[in-house]
Amino acid sequence: MQDIKRVIEENNGKIVVEHDYFLLVEVSREHVRKLARALFEAGAYYSTGVGSDERPKNGFFAMYHILNHEESKKYIVLKVETPEHDLRIPSITPEIEGANWAEREAHDVLGIVFEGHPEPERLILPDDWPEGVYPLRKDFKYNEKVKPVRKEEKFVEREDALVLPLGPFHPTLHEPEYFEIYVDGETIVGARYKGFFVHRGLEKLAEGRLTIHQIPFVAERICGICGYTHMICYCQAVENAIGLEVPERAEYIRTLLLEIERIHSHILWFGVVYHLLGFDTGFMHAWRIREKVMDSAEILTGNRKTYGMSLVGGVRRDIDEDKKEKTLKALREVSQEMKNLFDDVLAMKEILNRIEDVGILPKDRARSIGVVGPVARGSGINTDVRKDHPYAAYKYLDFKVPVYNGCDVLSRYLVRADEIFESIYLIEQVLDQMPGGDIMVERFEVPEFSVGVGATEAPRGEDVHFVITHRGSKVYRWRPRAPTYNNLPSVPVMLEGEHLADAPAIIGSIDPCFSCTDHVTIVDDSTGKILFRGSLEDAIRRLKR
Amino acid sequence: MNAIIAVIVNVIFALLYAPLIDGVERKIKARVQRRKGPPIQQTWYDILKLFKKEEIMPKDATKSIFISAPFMAFLSVLISYLFVPTILPGALYFYGDIIVVVYLLAFSSIAFFLGAFSSGNPYAQVGANREMSLAVVEEILLAFIVGSLAVLNRSLMLNKMFPLEIKVSSIILLAFYLVVMYIASARVPFDIAEAEPEIVEGPFIEYSGKYLAMCKYTIFLKRILLTSLFLNFVLPENVLWRTVGYVIGVVVIPVVLAMIEAHMGRMRIDQAVRFMKRLSVIGIFAWVISLFGW
Repeated sequence: MQDIKRVIEENNGKIVVEHDYFLLVEVSREHVRKLARALFEAGAYYSTGVGSDERPKNGFFAMYHILNHEESKKYIVLKVETPEHDLRIPSITPEIEGANWAEREAHDVLGIVFEGHPEPERLILPDDWPEGVYPLRKDFKYNEKVKPVRKEEKFVEREDALVLPLGPFHPTLHEPEYFEIYVDGETIVGARYKGFFVHRGLEKLAEGRLTIHQIPFVAERICGICGYTHMICYCQAVENAIGLEVPERAEYIRTLLLEIERIHSHILWFGVVYHLLGFDTGFMHAWRIREKVMDSAEILTGNRKTYGMSLVGGVRRDIDEDKKEKTLKALREVSQEMKNLFDDVLAMKEILNRIEDVGILPKDRARSIGVVGPVARGSGINTDVRKDHPYAAYKYLDFKVPVYNGCDVLSRYLVRADEIFESIYLIEQVLDQMPGGDIMVERFEVPEFSVGVGATEAPRGEDVHFVITHRGSKVYRWRPRAPTYNNLPSVPVMLEGEHLADAPAIIGSIDPCFSCTDHVTIVDDSTGKILFRGSLEDAIRRLKR
Repeated sequence: MNAIIAVIVNVIFALLYAPLIDGVERKIKARVQRRKGPPIQQTWYDILKLFKKEEIMPKDATKSIFISAPFMAFLSVLISYLFVPTILPGALYFYGDIIVVVYLLAFSSIAFFLGAFSSGNPYAQVGANREMSLAVVEEILLAFIVGSLAVLNRSLMLNKMFPLEIKVSSIILLAFYLVVMYIASARVPFDIAEAEPEIVEGPFIEYSGKYLAMCKYTIFLKRILLTSLFLNFVLPENVLWRTVGYVIGVVVIPVVLAMIEAHMGRMRIDQAVRFMKRLSVIGIFAWVISLFGW
């Protein structure tokens, strides 16, 4: 803790807010790059970045770089301000690879120029969005319409390799995303990702017309699988911003539902992976077992999905004894059946051959991209928000964080398998230890321009929400960042040099949730943008050699 | 004259039966997966439906090859039925031997390959590449079988081979044939050329309507042809026992194969080829001992 503070102060950072959960550090433009580098070397990774238009407050634009320093159990929020007439901030992407997307997004939505960015290209706005219109600026109305400009779509042809379009609609992906895969025979020599096809105006909508108590329900609809974790993440961000203590019973109920969600999400993933590997029987059985988890969720909350259980300050419904028993019984069955399924599959040689030593993501590369969740834990990085930044009831509970060093698809598979059983163990503890008492804090004051960071360990990894509060129970700025946002840039690294037949399993191995990633943006319709040109060019060069 | 009637009956039987047994297989796979599964006529419904649907022609296709390929594949498998008896004994043995049958099967693979390449779709090309790699290795394995059979019977005529004499080499050969049959009938883990989640049905991606129906039908017919060939090797010559045995075998074998299929994941093409190369050692072994006359 003292170490990281010393690092910040030695590199001209000024700690303005010291919260249990995060440090808000102001730093000038000249020093941001050096400070970011120093923090990265001290063990922090780039979690996400948020741009904000703060002209109504002080005439400045601000960029918040959020770094996760697990060792000191703190998020470090670097705030860099820049005046309107000189919208330039040095890019930290040359220092930390993971800042790439966040900075490009901030440029797209606010027009902040990041000097020295290696790929200063459009990321989330569609190609037909006019230049110089920045939708997240405060003088842009949330219901304003812009006239599209026609642009030619770029399609990169290559002579030395066959171009295989994987998407926007493909049986592997289930969601509209586009991978352009360059193959030579059966070997992948390069990959290009185009994303952000599915946009909703969530951030702008939240800032423009929703109140603090309405946003949780919008947040829950960010994801169709792990929505509750977004809801909790948002609530925690606001609670951290206004310094609100949640009743203990509410914390336990939140934990219970988060773990239920993790189990069903992981079993869903196993089903999908078995299908991708041609083992449809496993797929059907995994999803059959998952139904029991869905039923438990229905017993506990009234809904199979999208529980609608939380608000800022606590949870909305209580859980009685009868529900506890039913849940425990269902989970015991799930535990037994999943164990049998895993044993059967691990005895299947042809499945193991398909996932072992496939889709390699080395540890150092994983760290610099800033991957999270099972992808990071499968590459030997011991990171888990539940342990590193304890929230809800995790501080009272005992659980292990599975870490595997294989860096391949099998490691990610095993991490998730272990996590299912850890989650069941957690739920047993929660139901056993749950204290009585209130479940909700009804009255609280919302201060103006108070900054809050909330994080949860979603099934796919670290989920971060950043909130700046506003007067009248509103938010001034809200940015949800889904785990896939950090994991996706690692896919082209994993794909290179692999067999085409392995591409679906590799893309599937990060458990991509494209809509979550896209929802953080603001536009209706898009044609995407070229990414990873660097790796593509490297691949061509390697081929020519 | 009898032979011609037998051939007509046999071909009609195969045409009617092949989609039906696929329906049974689907039902069984569904039960293994604890699903209810479609009715057993479903494959027939699918084929009839596809025949009624309109065809979509890909923009980049070489039209003549693209259209004729499914028919070439279908006919080459159908012609094989002239030489391989199904429910009734008797076939046009005089016009073709086992080499013709093997060639016709290879030709159906080549027809799929040509059709896929002419479609201009990159997924079809990858699928066609896989189809060809598999077909080449299959051919090698079949070559061992044909070679051993020729040595065993001192002839390549099919009627001399039905049934095979019981010897050490013929038993090894039949076991070996069963494995090759499993691979050649494009079942998981060897459905690599189609691989729906990977390359979206591969060679068949651009086919629709009746062309797709022909492709599917060809695969079903090929499976029954390979099964019939096996049954002919083992069943006795007595007409009654042969018919009873055939009817049992032609139901039981696909059902067993479907059960195996339901418990497998898909291999990668290089893994499959390596597996088949290893298998060829058994082929050499069978051939060598058949040379000794065992």
